[in-house]
Amino acid sequence: MALTITNVTKQYNAQKTALTNYSIDIDKGVLGLLGPNGAGKSTLMKIIATISKPSEGTLFLNGIDIVRNPDAIRKVLGYLPQDFGVYPNLNAYEFLEYIAAMKGVGGKGLRRRIDLLLEGVNLSADAKRPIGSYSGGMKQRIGIAQALLNDPQVLIFDEPTVGLDPEERMRFRQLIADLAQNCIIILSSHIVSDIETIADQVAIMQDGKLLIHAPQHDIIKQADGCIFELLLDNSKLGSFKQQYKVIDTARQADQIRVRYISSKGKEAPSSTQVTATLEDAYLFLTQDNG
Amino acid sequence: MQYIYPIIKADYLQRTRSYSFLITLAITIFMAYSFIPANSANYTTLSALGYKGVYNSAWVGYVSGIMTTVMLSIYGFLLVNSGIKKDINTEVGLIVATTPITNFKYLLSKQLSNYIVLLTIAGITFIVSIGVFFMRGTGYPFILGNFIFPYLFFAVPALFVVASLAVAGEVFLGRRSILQFIAYFFLVGICMGLINAKSDDQPTGIFDPFGLSLITKSITQHINSHFNEDLKGVSFGFIFNGRSAYKTFTWEGLNWSALFIFSRLLWMGLGLGVVYISSLFFHRFDSKQADPKRKTKEVAAIQTDQPIEQHAGISRAVLPPLVFDYGIFPLVRTELFMLIRQGKKWLWLVNAALWVAMFIVPFNIAHNYLLPVLLFLQVTRWSELVTKEKTNRVHYFSFASYKPLQRMLPAQILSGVLLSIGLSLPLIIRGALTFNSDVVLSIINGAVLIVLLAVAFGILTGGKKLFEVFFFLLTYSVVNKVPVTDYLGSLPHQDMSFFMLVILGINTVLVIVSFMIRRYQTRHS
Repeated sequence: MALTITNVTKQYNAQKTALTNYSIDIDKGVLGLLGPNGAGKSTLMKIIATISKPSEGTLFLNGIDIVRNPDAIRKVLGYLPQDFGVYPNLNAYEFLEYIAAMKGVGGKGLRRRIDLLLEGVNLSADAKRPIGSYSGGMKQRIGIAQALLNDPQVLIFDEPTVGLDPEERMRFRQLIADLAQNCIIILSSHIVSDIETIADQVAIMQDGKLLIHAPQHDIIKQADGCIFELLLDNSKLGSFKQQYKVIDTARQADQIRVRYISSKGKEAPSSTQVTATLEDAYLFLTQDNG
Repeated sequence: MQYIYPIIKADYLQRTRSYSFLITLAITIFMAYSFIPANSANYTTLSALGYKGVYNSAWVGYVSGIMTTVMLSIYGFLLVNSGIKKDINTEVGLIVATTPITNFKYLLSKQLSNYIVLLTIAGITFIVSIGVFFMRGTGYPFILGNFIFPYLFFAVPALFVVASLAVAGEVFLGRRSILQFIAYFFLVGICMGLINAKSDDQPTGIFDPFGLSLITKSITQHINSHFNEDLKGVSFGFIFNGRSAYKTFTWEGLNWSALFIFSRLLWMGLGLGVVYISSLFFHRFDSKQADPKRKTKEVAAIQTDQPIEQHAGISRAVLPPLVFDYGIFPLVRTELFMLIRQGKKWLWLVNAALWVAMFIVPFNIAHNYLLPVLLFLQVTRWSELVTKEKTNRVHYFSFASYKPLQRMLPAQILSGVLLSIGLSLPLIIRGALTFNSDVVLSIINGAVLIVLLAVAFGILTGGKKLFEVFFFLLTYSVVNKVPVTDYLGSLPHQDMSFFMLVILGINTVLVIVSFMIRRYQTRHS
């Protein structure tokens, strides 16, 4: 299973270009997409999901052009959009049955499949109630279940952990780890720790362009030696921020612990160099290019 | 007022920046053009016993002003009565509810926004009426006042009242749109009756929200005195009587009295009063009042949310083997199920009563009145048929599914057609029993037309409003026996086969247009 995206551009109008000459090769495993708002992550996902057509460029899935032949990927696609909705008058079971019909999944095993998926996302007890009455997290879990109905080979999750509580997030990560052995999973999240835990490969995007696509540890290496911490008086924080790119602050007794980016040798006195995380690397890369 | 202005502006822009508003304007231009029929036309818009005024400024300006007032009073309500509903659906209402704005100011802003939308449409007909004067004119001088005053004293106050009633309808009848329509048209029917009922007295307009009694009085007096007739009143609307030859007279317009102008202000004041009273009962987006079902269930959702520890996650290994079935039957079944479940259950009692009645009452009555009304009562079902995906943001799934164009859209159309034909079944059976194939085919043709109109309008505009307004006007015209709108073939036609072919042709065009636009939409979300 291989998805090859070459020179994809998506231009909505003369003023707005969501993606510019975007190229990436995606293999089996989990690809985490990181980028600030408006970086083009959702647009890229919509293009892969075939609901948005690129202005230029090609997308091939196992050698098949999915821009010209979108049904080739639709057969093996599971897609969880960022702002999806549901039919409020249907219950979970009916809704999944409906989505299954759209995906062309049927047969005697369908009922059992839906039961197991509902059980897997902890919605069995509520399966007979209209989805309109569900909480945000429950709707998100229905979204996850529908994505898995057809045993997809390509899974696209746009902000999948929104609305999930910490335990559900943990369970979702486990699920992704299980699924990743057999298929391509592309997921975007603003929660960098989610990507850090799940993704094998990370692609960082900004302004519709790909900044870097590499294994997670290679990306973290980019920020090695550039992340420092320092204890500061509260009153000095303002002037410090003008000199350095502050990543994080944490109150500690009557002082503030500041985590910041600096070139080696140019760090503030009394600073301690710390091990970079994916979040540090992400901020390091996007702020440099911002 | 400084706080209300931005709200009105935002609301107005939100409503007018849509395809449906553009289409509404296009229809308005066409209708405004039709208000003043050509001399050879077989219809009239102001019926006075075979008389009509020469096309001078007064006649063209006043007839156009009257027709704008009457037509916009009828369908304007449908166009604008969703301002609060929009705020509920988008949940902007929840933000509004937490701001210091008072109920009255909020509802007033909605009323004024409704009003400006209606005035925009009236403004278009005003401009078109001047254009039509020069097109149809027969050398009479152009007098601007004869165009301005009827709009100023008939349309402007009447539309203010309509805008207020739209707000009241939303406050008191909430999401029960069918009930709103029925209540409003009952009210309009009474008001229309008052126009001619008062024509024997010296009209002041006090009891007439449209103010049109003044003009009916003037025209009837003019005809009675000049032609020795005993005319009691005149009728407004698109009246098809097959007549194209009329006796003409020269009518120079009205003299406006201070009392009449005061009566207009009084009605506008009454409109404000309606908004104020509504504000006392406004739910202010308290979800229990705004949507009682939702609140109860949200509470239940919290109570029944299961602890995480009780489930074991998803393992692909234990899922039954996949069986693919790309037929559309399961989609048709679910779409039909959603169509039937949509709306209030009590409406099915009314549907059942009408359905049974169509077997019993004389065929003409069932065909002319009951069937069009029964089909119209399902207006929200039809209008949601293809718009619910976008409204509920489910289109991400359907557009990314396997062959959406070849499977989803046909399933939606088929489910709608099954329902519409099911509703028409009593007449189809009666027609078949009498071997009247024209009736059977016309009814099937018409039942399919309604579904395809809903599909095409829904796909084109992405919303329900335009179809609902159009379908209302269509039904109104059908029960008033306007031949050109006889989509169910209930009126005699010179060439029935040709008539059926025309409907079939329209259906075919609607299908092609719907598929073409949907094809684009599935790849450009």
